[in-house]
Amino acid sequence: MTANPTAPAVRVRGLTVVYKTPVGELPAVSNVDLTLAPGTITGVVGESGSGKSTLALCLLNAVQSPGRIAAGSVEIDGLGDVVELGGEELRRARGRHVGYVFQAAQNSLNPLKTIGKQLLDLGRSHGVEDLRALVRDAKDLLARMGMDGARVLDSYQHELSGGMRQRVGIMLALVLNAKVVVLDEPTTALDMITQATILRIVREVHDERGLTTLVITHDVGAVAEVADNLAVMYGGRVVEHGPVMEVLGSPRHPYTRGLIRAIPRLSGDISLARALPGRPPTLGTLPAAGCVFRERCDRRMDVCDTVEPVPLTRDGRTVACHAVDAAADVDANAAPGVAAGAADRTPTTARRKEYA
Amino acid sequence: MTPTLRGRARSKTSKTSPTSPTSSASPKAVARRVAGHVARGLAMIWVVATISFVIIREIPGDPVKGQYESLIQKGMSPEQAERATAVLYGFLPTGSLWEQYTGYINSLLHLDLGRSLSTPGVEVTTLIGSAARWTVLPVLAGTLLSFLLGVIMGVYAAIKRSGRLGDVLALSGSLLHGVPVYVIGLLLTAIFATLWPIMPSGGPVDVEHVPGLNPGYLGSLAHHAVLPVVTYTLASYGGWILAMKSNVVAVLGDDFILAAELRGLKRGIVFRYIARNAILPLFTVLALSIGMLFGGSIFIEQIFNYPGLGLLLVGSISSRDYALMGGTFLVITIGIVVANIVADLLYTAIDPRVRSGGAA
Amino acid sequence: MSIMTNAQETTDPRSAPGGTPGVTRATLRRNFWRGVWRVLRRKPSRMVGVVIVAGFAVMGVAGPLLYPDHLPRDDDALYAPPSLRHPFGTDFEGTDVLALVITGARYVLLTGLATAVITVALGTLIGLFAGFRRGRWDTVLMRVTDVNLAIPGLPLLLVLSTVWKFESPLEMGLVLGLLGWGGIARAVRSQTLSLRERGFIEAARGLGLPTTHIIGRELLPSMAPYIAMNMLIAVTGAVYAQVGLFFLGVLPFESNNWGVMLNLAVFNGGALTTAAALPYLMAPLLAILLLTLGIVLIVDAMDEIFNPRLREE
Repeated sequence: MTANPTAPAVRVRGLTVVYKTPVGELPAVSNVDLTLAPGTITGVVGESGSGKSTLALCLLNAVQSPGRIAAGSVEIDGLGDVVELGGEELRRARGRHVGYVFQAAQNSLNPLKTIGKQLLDLGRSHGVEDLRALVRDAKDLLARMGMDGARVLDSYQHELSGGMRQRVGIMLALVLNAKVVVLDEPTTALDMITQATILRIVREVHDERGLTTLVITHDVGAVAEVADNLAVMYGGRVVEHGPVMEVLGSPRHPYTRGLIRAIPRLSGDISLARALPGRPPTLGTLPAAGCVFRERCDRRMDVCDTVEPVPLTRDGRTVACHAVDAAADVDANAAPGVAAGAADRTPTTARRKEYA
Repeated sequence: MTPTLRGRARSKTSKTSPTSPTSSASPKAVARRVAGHVARGLAMIWVVATISFVIIREIPGDPVKGQYESLIQKGMSPEQAERATAVLYGFLPTGSLWEQYTGYINSLLHLDLGRSLSTPGVEVTTLIGSAARWTVLPVLAGTLLSFLLGVIMGVYAAIKRSGRLGDVLALSGSLLHGVPVYVIGLLLTAIFATLWPIMPSGGPVDVEHVPGLNPGYLGSLAHHAVLPVVTYTLASYGGWILAMKSNVVAVLGDDFILAAELRGLKRGIVFRYIARNAILPLFTVLALSIGMLFGGSIFIEQIFNYPGLGLLLVGSISSRDYALMGGTFLVITIGIVVANIVADLLYTAIDPRVRSGGAA
Repeated sequence: MSIMTNAQETTDPRSAPGGTPGVTRATLRRNFWRGVWRVLRRKPSRMVGVVIVAGFAVMGVAGPLLYPDHLPRDDDALYAPPSLRHPFGTDFEGTDVLALVITGARYVLLTGLATAVITVALGTLIGLFAGFRRGRWDTVLMRVTDVNLAIPGLPLLLVLSTVWKFESPLEMGLVLGLLGWGGIARAVRSQTLSLRERGFIEAARGLGLPTTHIIGRELLPSMAPYIAMNMLIAVTGAVYAQVGLFFLGVLPFESNNWGVMLNLAVFNGGALTTAAALPYLMAPLLAILLLTLGIVLIVDAMDEIFNPRLREE
């Protein structure tokens, strides 16, 4: 998976999304910086309400009312700042430059039209002149995903199974050659076998077409399977970001640690799984100052109550935590250079075994 | 009559047959639906016919027997009087209740509704036939107009639902939906025929015109039809706008609309997705609406002195013309049954999920 | 119609799960009234609805007491135009129209109430029974309901009027109620079935609760708001139907009411051709319009109180 030269990079800078509520505008995403390297798959994990789906919608500037992007930018190579786009320009960017794949449980297809007709609607909306070629591409893509293209295009949504619908969703996101793809919970509500199939397809199609992909999920196992990089979100912040194996193998942020401890292993003692104490914050319960995670944190310090930790990048890994900063400063003073050098990626096969 | 038997037979076959096919349109499923509707419709027509029979039999003073006896007093032989009365009511004045009932149903099956008393000698079917067009055409026009208007304004009310305009549209819809049809009709007449007389106050057409395809007659016809059709339209407009508004609001929240937007579909196409999905459930209400309008025709025709089925029914009751009354009641019921079946066929034709026999 | 579609989501805050019954029920009830108050205050128009309907209720109860049994006639002022003395003019006998509307309200509203009670009782009973027993009973009852719904009500009423004179308001209410229960029965049945699907009934059975408790304490409260809304709508429906019957003139005019007024204004007074009798026609029409407005506003408010989905918007 070397970085594909045609794949665009995505740079999210200082992104803040607020939701209008009776008690004023509350931030669902606060000041997020996140870079998706060209040609990589980045997974975003977090509990519900952590702002990960809102972040995903920001890549298409599609935050739904009563929310709005209050500040920041989303730069996509070859497209510019999506936040600045509007009207027709934005519409054309959606689908053509950025593809979006919905949750399998959500019904992303018009129940009254065949898939083929919806494909043609898509083509017409984006000024595709050779609709025949579009249909051919769609059939190829569907065949690539192991389906009978002609038959699927003739079907209605209610005639397809969950896994088939999800593949149709991926086809519709890719058929116009979008190079940035966002998948929102691509495997939720699918059975285990189908989950594995979809993840394999995502990985393979990503490699073949040279995409930059963002996968939103709460399933750490799925991320381990498919992603190159991992961003962990909590309370509307990216609290940790780095190569997936490093983040999972040696988590630094206390929340990431808690999250990984909470996963029961298939083999091994179930009692080793520790649920994270407390509840994830909601829009209304987010503290106004200080670290958003301090209420549940086992490494809480005085400074956490008043100062919000700034994301700091060391050795290709970004962590926003006072405790980690303090420890790193100590380490750096004690033995300079020791922390560097562990950036080699674990081979894919090895990590599959570890987290499957 | 065998509707109940047929209904039972149907459910038996559907139990033994394997579950309905899940893929591709099946004419069998459609046929089964239609058969079900026809069976239910026949059952209803039978119920209504029985009600008419019982009422005619139970009317104080027994008009059937009264007629028979008065004919005998006039010097007719019992046989002649019996035949004459039977022609009038469609069943024999003598004999057991059961014989009378089977006789009545039998003549109904031969499309014989008896003869009118108030217009002596004329068959009830003839009277109903000439009255029907004055009801059916305005009802259809009103249904179509109100449907179009209600659907368009419903979309509008849904889009503007948090604004003042949306509130006004919704409230006016609720009011029109709630207010009885005669209030609408009377208010319209009071305003446009009495206070500001730009419309004729009643009748189907001005008498001075020669009937035929001449502009004067047709113009007068149209002029006289305006207020009744507007009344029909307003009477069911409220229901449409309310239903359409709530459907559009529901569809707007559906994932596939967001998905269509995120795929960058043109606004026009997204709008069509919304509209089609929101309109579809309205077809199940269509039959109800037509039935309501048929009922409303009784008031509307009374107010505008329009010679349709409603006026015929009220007239037959005031003039104690029971054969005509029973016949008109029956025909109004048949009209509603037919509207039911047509509305269901329309629905079946449009919704792929029903077509393939899935969610019947 | 909007109410029909929302029926599925209508839930009662009182039936919220968990907690000790005594304490939580009381607090929930208090919250409930607070919610009612909030909803009413947010849109003042709803307050107007409450005031209108309350006004009509007072009119129905106290109206006839304000006037002598035989309303005074003024032979010099037949079809008098509106004036301070006669805000809506007088009728063909010189009787004050406003007095006629007020004294006529009792008959009309009493019928409406009787009909609503019968409709709701019958509809709820049949719907509950069908949904609770399911199987054969359900099939039969729903077939009957289908017929009840499909029969053209008004023509049937007209035909019935030839054998039955509906002399008292209660008798009238009985007939209207017997004709109108179909909608509620069907809705209550589907509510019962959906509660059943959510494991409601099985759970209660599992706890060993008797059927009466399940129906009275678990099922009915969660449907109460929906039933109440339907009751209000049934009142208006019954008012319209009987006023309509009198307007058509197929029933004997035993007492004064709005329908009789409409009939006399249109067919005797010629209100549709001359302006003189117009106030006589407009008074009962306005009364009906006001009543409709009041009930529409209240139902709208109830919809918002009991339908959480709408409340959020």
